[in-house]
Amino acid sequence: MNSIIGIAVKDIKVFFREKGTIFWTIAFPILIMLLFTAIFGREIPFNANVGVVDYDHTPVTASIMTGLNSTGVFTVRNFTDNPIKAREELNATTVRAVITIPKNFTQNLYFQNASVSLVVDETNPDVARLCRDGIKTYFSEYYKAFYYQIYGINYTTPITVNEEKPVMGQAIGYKEYIVPGMLCYPLLFSSMVVATGAIVYEREKGTLKKIRASPARPLNVLFGKTLAALFQTAVSILIMALLAYFLLAPTLNWNISLLVPIMFLGSINGIALGLIISCVGRAPQEASNAATTIAIVLQFFIGMYFPAEYLPTYLQQIGSIIPMTYAAQAIRSVMIRTAALNELFQPILTLVISAVILYVVGVLLYKRWVEKE
Amino acid sequence: MKGEIIIEINGLTKRYGEVTALDSVSFSVEEGEIFGLLGPNGAGKTTLMEILCGLRRFDEGRVTVRGFDLMKDAYKIRSLIGFCTQETLLYDLLSVRENFAFSASLYSLDHKKFKERVEFSTKVLGVEEFLNRRVQQLSGGMKRRANLAAAIIHDPPIVILDEPTVGFDPAIKREFWDLIKNLKGTDKTVLLSTHDMYEADEVCDRVAIMEKGKIAALDKPRVLKETIGGVASIRVRVKANQTKQALAVLKEYNGTQREDDEIQIVAKDPWKTMTEVSNKLASKGILTEKIEIVEPTLEDVFIKLSGRKLSGDSQ
Repeated sequence: MNSIIGIAVKDIKVFFREKGTIFWTIAFPILIMLLFTAIFGREIPFNANVGVVDYDHTPVTASIMTGLNSTGVFTVRNFTDNPIKAREELNATTVRAVITIPKNFTQNLYFQNASVSLVVDETNPDVARLCRDGIKTYFSEYYKAFYYQIYGINYTTPITVNEEKPVMGQAIGYKEYIVPGMLCYPLLFSSMVVATGAIVYEREKGTLKKIRASPARPLNVLFGKTLAALFQTAVSILIMALLAYFLLAPTLNWNISLLVPIMFLGSINGIALGLIISCVGRAPQEASNAATTIAIVLQFFIGMYFPAEYLPTYLQQIGSIIPMTYAAQAIRSVMIRTAALNELFQPILTLVISAVILYVVGVLLYKRWVEKE
Repeated sequence: MKGEIIIEINGLTKRYGEVTALDSVSFSVEEGEIFGLLGPNGAGKTTLMEILCGLRRFDEGRVTVRGFDLMKDAYKIRSLIGFCTQETLLYDLLSVRENFAFSASLYSLDHKKFKERVEFSTKVLGVEEFLNRRVQQLSGGMKRRANLAAAIIHDPPIVILDEPTVGFDPAIKREFWDLIKNLKGTDKTVLLSTHDMYEADEVCDRVAIMEKGKIAALDKPRVLKETIGGVASIRVRVKANQTKQALAVLKEYNGTQREDDEIQIVAKDPWKTMTEVSNKLASKGILTEKIEIVEPTLEDVFIKLSGRKLSGDSQ
């Protein structure tokens, strides 16, 4: 048997016999997917309590409150009798925003100069933004409906923004956004961490001495380790994909013929990074901790959970030099935009180039490290 | 071919910063012999073996194995050597057979050869009874046997054993040395390191005594003992009240002296002298309780060379 296959087969056998490792390899994606299913698997991903203080007391303001409540996004609580209580609850974050409708609001509505005041709980920027945008949109829509009812014509704005048809003919929810991101998880936490551990394990056990004393070339050793790490990554990805498909049931394009090569390239990048980390770390524990920490940090850079645009510019620039960012980008393009191969030229080329560079660096570092040992 | 030089080391020097681990070491090992490296911890034995196996670089000198230069043909040389370390380098979660398969893969052994070698291990090294058991379930002795079998699964002409019996109990030590002797019967060249002078004396065809990175002496154990260890002596113990009388009878022999309740006589021909002594004492009516020949040991050789005991250094 060839040394590459021998090393890979040995690592895979050890993987299947380490009960803890096999348990966490299966449990980890299940836990993550269950968590994300619980968070994003619902129709309405957001609901906040909103307080209303109504000084106008008209059927119009009553209909405003009813309408706001019926959106499902907000649960309206009436504080008209006790505006101070509204502020107290806002401070306690039990309501996320307080709308105050002034006297003569309804009358002013006819003269097109009505206004309400809004105070938003700023302790959570995401919730604050959603409340602010949601409430403003609601009042804008309400006014359009009111205008049509009174004047019988549509309210028009100076510039019309025509929204195009969403991709795949329907709206993309957050779960459609998050599932491709979740499939990148194993590229970091299986490929990179497993590859680091593979060399570290041999060092700790002392068995690296046996391998080094044999005629197996460093490149063969690394190829063998890569094959085993690829296998473990594939197991993780498969579990995640199956859970995502059946639990979240996202409306996505599961183009296996494109997704497999992209994930393969992403995994190779992760494995090469792992090999580099294992050679740079002086002590085995140091290398393992470094790989886990780097994987945790990288997940925020590559756009797994939220779009890269959420990051400050300088962090986006860091993200742009991480190969997994391109893997995430390509996976999303295939699954959400149903991109074809010719549209994926740039991310795939980037992944191929970075895989070659990182792998060469990994081999050189491994050889140097072996000589130093 | 037996008797031909298989390992040749010339002026081998290895430094770790300011420390010289090997200082211009030169010797050769013949094909088919068991060659022992003896010396205390830090003498440079392990460094020398690891250099031979390609695990360490060296600063000066030349090493050839079967004519291949270690600097140029390290990978060829690695395939000629089976290296068995002090530690058991096996994977606990794999069976012994699976460990063998992994070791065989490192040497690109084909399936047929692998089967033959497993058969050899079961016969010569006695691993049959636990071949399919996981290493974590084996006793210490079984692990050592499996470790040795895995190290030579590729049928190398040279077997290097670094302190192979450290931590063994006497019964397992005996078993292990029997295995090594069995290997000699299969035309393997064995290079081993040990602290144990008695084992080296019994097992090795030749030994090199190492001290502070240098070869202090090298020859067959018998020659070393004769030339450096000194001559043999006879030790006699008689009835306590006859010791003075016995000393008077034996004073004609050179170097006769009392040591506690025994009398020691230096003898160039110990077997002849022992018979004479025994007869003389009997003719004078002195009752001999004990009479024995004490041969010099490799320990004596080491003491003469270094001025200190080696056995106290043993792990």
